[in-house]
Amino acid sequence: MKRLIRLNVNDKIYEIAVEPNRTLADVIREEIGLTGTKKGCEVGECGTCTVILDGKTVNSCLVLAVQADGKTILTIEGLETDQGLHPIQQSFVEKGAVQCGFCTSGMILSAKSLLDQNPDADEKEIRSAISGNLCRCTGYQKIVEAIASVKDRGPIS
Amino acid sequence: MLLPHFEFHEPTTVSEACEIMGRLREKARPIAGGTDLIVNMKKNLIRPDHVVSLAKIDDLKGIVRENGLLEIGACVTAAEIAGSDAVEKKFAALAQGARVLGSPLIRNLATISGNVVSARPAADLPPPLMAYGARAVLMKTSGERSVDLNDFFKAPGKTVMDPDEILTRIVIEAPQGHYGDSYVKLGLRQTFEISLVNVAAFISLDGSDGPISKARVILGSVGPTPIRSQSAEDVLGGQMPSEPLFARAGEAAAGDAQPIDDFRGSAEYRRDMVAVLTRRALNMALKRAGSR
Repeated sequence: MKRLIRLNVNDKIYEIAVEPNRTLADVIREEIGLTGTKKGCEVGECGTCTVILDGKTVNSCLVLAVQADGKTILTIEGLETDQGLHPIQQSFVEKGAVQCGFCTSGMILSAKSLLDQNPDADEKEIRSAISGNLCRCTGYQKIVEAIASVKDRGPIS
Repeated sequence: MLLPHFEFHEPTTVSEACEIMGRLREKARPIAGGTDLIVNMKKNLIRPDHVVSLAKIDDLKGIVRENGLLEIGACVTAAEIAGSDAVEKKFAALAQGARVLGSPLIRNLATISGNVVSARPAADLPPPLMAYGARAVLMKTSGERSVDLNDFFKAPGKTVMDPDEILTRIVIEAPQGHYGDSYVKLGLRQTFEISLVNVAAFISLDGSDGPISKARVILGSVGPTPIRSQSAEDVLGGQMPSEPLFARAGEAAAGDAQPIDDFRGSAEYRRDMVAVLTRRALNMALKRAGSR
């Protein structure tokens, strides 16, 4: 039986009736229409479905939408503002850390979560923070450089 | 990947959850973090008709330290354990286990109860918990019981729990005096890895530089369940800690291991690594004991 849930996604409230067997990743993509959140392995190994749920990065493929009822979610679409790309997004573009782009949303959200808590993260901490996000193009080096260089831009909004 | 259909229940008290589990038994599965359950349901390994969420039960949250006990609620995540000062200070091996469980994304969801109840031979939290002699508190409508984790696991995915029981919390008696603990994990990669071998060690000393009064060595990933190495503990008991003693304990532990061959590594390699990791874990535990 469908249940009515209420999600705050990127500062917008959505009230949606969902079957209990729908994952948060599915609901974000198919009901809300935000397809920046990708679905890769769907079993929590690749991190392409990363979202920030009540301040914590999670695999949205492993969260039932009904479990997210009443919670606040940030997806990649919530990072860009009227002023343009978020500094982490900008850095990924400038450093060539985006190739096919499939891992990018999750990678940037993991990076944001790290830099919010630890703006001076060193390379080891950066590599550890993105260890749940797989990238099959870049070899990670450019991604790590992109995240590291955000630190030099001053405070992140 | 589609999840099979199920009915979703969201009790707000433990007794309500027990009532639902008591009524539905095998037809229902509790969900805490869901990182195992949802994967197994997607892979069609299990198909419960009912899923009972524990997430809205406040009694199952939080880490409490009082009266010489550390109590960790069923819904406490690996990230919360890894970030807890109370755990880090007195239960360093458990903090170590929590820090290497899955990925940062998984650690934000995965719970202590899930990591214990799923009874995976390579799980990261059971060995350190067993090294402290931790107990699982199980609840059903007819009452509560507490089981030593050393008697809890039966086989991969199998525990002593009844189908209508819920694990409500893990309880550890805080060790006193000069004790040291550690957890060492060996995988093929540095992060997001299933252990080839893991070892948790606990020793307590009679005085700051005295003999070993109590030792616990738990081996993970080298048997159908985590294994308490009685032989290693026999080697250590009553002896003065030393490098040669720890090497002997490592050899004894290797004898207790029951590893398998698989694509991650051969049984022979795993057995050799049990000896190495046990020695390292004991050295690290001794170092911690010396600083307490």
